[in-house]
Amino acid sequence: MIPPSLRGALTGRRAGLAALGLAAATLLALAALSSRPGASRDELAALGGAPPAAAALSGAARGAAGLLGELRAARLPTALAGAALTGLLAALGAALAGRGALLLAPLLFWLAPRHLDAGVSASPDLLAAAFALGAAWAYRRAAAAPGRRSRLSAALAAGALLGGAIAVRADSWILLAAFALHAAILRLGPGRAAAPADGAERPEGIEARLHGLPLALAAMAVLGAAALLAATPSALAHPAGALAALAAGQRRPPGALGPLAALGLTLPASLAVAYAAGLLHSAGRVGRALRSRAPARLLADDLLLVVVPAAYVAAGAAGIGAPGAGLRPWLPAVPFLALAAARALLAAAALAWPARAAPLAAALAVLALAPGALAIARTWPLGGAAFGELAGGAPGAAARGLPRQHGGEAIRELLPALNARAAPGARVFWAGVPAGALALYARAGLLRPDLVAVEGPEDADVAVVALDGGPRDLEYQAWAALRTDRPAAGVYADEVPLAFAYARAGAWR
Amino acid sequence: MPIADTAARLARGALAAAREGARGLARASAALGAAAWRARPGARRAAALLAVAAIAAAGIHGLAFQLSLPARLPRALDWAAARAMIERDARPGDAVAIAPGWAERAREALPGAVPLVPVPPDGAERLPGVRRVWLLSIPGAPGFSFGPELTLVRRAARSEPLPALGALSIARYDLTAPLLPLAFLPDRLAGATARLGDEPCAAVPGGFACGDGGAVRVVRSVREVEGRPRPCLALSLPGSPGAPLEVEFPGVPAGRALSGHAGFADGAAGGAPVRVAVQLDGQEVGAVEAARGFAPFLLDTREQAGRLVTVALAFTWPAPAGTVCLDAVAEP
Repeated sequence: MIPPSLRGALTGRRAGLAALGLAAATLLALAALSSRPGASRDELAALGGAPPAAAALSGAARGAAGLLGELRAARLPTALAGAALTGLLAALGAALAGRGALLLAPLLFWLAPRHLDAGVSASPDLLAAAFALGAAWAYRRAAAAPGRRSRLSAALAAGALLGGAIAVRADSWILLAAFALHAAILRLGPGRAAAPADGAERPEGIEARLHGLPLALAAMAVLGAAALLAATPSALAHPAGALAALAAGQRRPPGALGPLAALGLTLPASLAVAYAAGLLHSAGRVGRALRSRAPARLLADDLLLVVVPAAYVAAGAAGIGAPGAGLRPWLPAVPFLALAAARALLAAAALAWPARAAPLAAALAVLALAPGALAIARTWPLGGAAFGELAGGAPGAAARGLPRQHGGEAIRELLPALNARAAPGARVFWAGVPAGALALYARAGLLRPDLVAVEGPEDADVAVVALDGGPRDLEYQAWAALRTDRPAAGVYADEVPLAFAYARAGAWR
Repeated sequence: MPIADTAARLARGALAAAREGARGLARASAALGAAAWRARPGARRAAALLAVAAIAAAGIHGLAFQLSLPARLPRALDWAAARAMIERDARPGDAVAIAPGWAERAREALPGAVPLVPVPPDGAERLPGVRRVWLLSIPGAPGFSFGPELTLVRRAARSEPLPALGALSIARYDLTAPLLPLAFLPDRLAGATARLGDEPCAAVPGGFACGDGGAVRVVRSVREVEGRPRPCLALSLPGSPGAPLEVEFPGVPAGRALSGHAGFADGAAGGAPVRVAVQLDGQEVGAVEAARGFAPFLLDTREQAGRLVTVALAFTWPAPAGTVCLDAVAEP
């Protein structure tokens, strides 16, 4: 229970205005920062057409490239999604835990280097996270709205937002399973919450025909399937084949610890502990509510904060989660953890020292957030290479052989040296650099136009090599071809090399 | 006797007093414990206190880690000092090893004349041509291991710790039995000849191209085998030609043995094993098979020791085989 001193006296309108203000500030910050990080392999895959919805959004934004700059324009949809995510986190935080959580929930999400990195790149993960939280917000509104019309509109919004999530990342269907589980527990659990709240209207029309199935869930199922079909039109002609392809594309080795390890190793430890505390706090509240047969409305929010992360973990454990390594596959679950963490932190402070709840909560918030903020300041703009204290930072992760970057984005930091030092017309061999990155950098004016890209190290004067912790055979061939194993320039994260430039004698001024 | 009685009485009295004191202390402790137990926090408050403690501890640890990490890692000045020291004191036959292995800023910072060599903890690297190893360590780095240091201690006759340079620790090891080869075959490729069956191969930059279209190639290169850079003869063997590829190195000083390694580059295990027959002045001294890993070989050449010989390597492969990486040294 969070006392009034921590909950504050925020009306819905004031909370909404504050959330809007935070969203606007996030948009400005992300847009300002988004021109600096390099383009990774998955970001370029998204920009290149997969998945189509993310590519379409970025393509539309590139129309404004002249005004914003190439990189910033391509990443504008992510910045907008980040702003929406902040607004939703603030609004839901205020609704769940009051004034303190209005600011704390967004900060608990953003103050991690990899989360900020996802917010300033055009990969679809942050879009999916924003759509997922939006769908949860609409689903919650649809359950709580008193009038049929407002219930219907919220349900349609939930369906549309889930459709958006599926369109940008196909594995977002996991959310539908999570919401279905949520609805089933509320309906069948000991609380038997099916009875309408006092004063609520009896179901009529379409709601009556659904026999107790939440309208939002039905809308999500229909609009989610429509979004999946729209994203993969071939599914209309060959639905079985499309389903099989989707399943095959998402199959990966099962690993129950995948998401947990990704969270534990990549996040600042204080955030990981806060998320774990939030999850346990919400699970404890769910358990108490189920035992005491509390009404569903008292259970619904906590249950949602538990089932969505649990669904992503379960999907990862079953090997049907999103492909890819690291934190990004699990990013849509993280805003739910941030909300749970914000509420748990405030509740813990209030319970631990009731007389000094507010100062204790503030001190705890500083301790939870400061390591992440410091890590961002130290690793920027290489947030994709950051690891938490449990992994030993980037050096500890490199010693364990973990991937050093998402896919070639660190070479962006070599370009100024390359432009300044490479001989005129130098032939450059690029190894580990994602397809399309060079064209993007050239359009953004970050790469000298006279430099010529060549296919192999034998034909090159300069070799630029991204190091991701994987095989380095091409780099070693470049040593032999250029007759040097000494880089002319390098990019490092806490002394861990992320990219090297090698040059033939005379090709580096 | 009265004195002994008095002493015994006093001792009994002291014992009784001590016993009474201990009983009192036990009673007080029990009362205190009972009071603490009665005042214990409820389960929810205990959980809250635990959460507060965990978040605070993680936050303090995180802050300490983030603030201390830069000081645990070498700065540009440390690398510059290491460069100056090695430039000043290095001799021919010196090499540098780094620990942990990811600290490859050393490649950029240290003088190019001194090679960097891997020193894996299993001691499998023979380090041909190296008499002394400078080990540059970053003991404060997260994940640091003393494996390379222990390997060098086992292989060294003498070790000399040098003054630390900031976060860099430096020690120099004189190897007990350095391998000083008479010849390194990959470096002699420029003076070699190659033919595929009876057809001579064409010289190309760095080696030879053989067969129609030059698909079969032999070049002096550096390839990754078992996760490490290997200077070697890299042979691209894309198809089954029906004739062996033969590479001849004239004028190679022979010693007591010809040793080396053979394996497949770029992580490929190869479609089929590649057999390499080794001849010295037309006489076969042994054969090597390149299959998985970077397999070592050692061929006895004592009969030819002290002479300049022609070393011929004849490669046969039954099916497309990928790229073979082969190194060989003539041991003294």
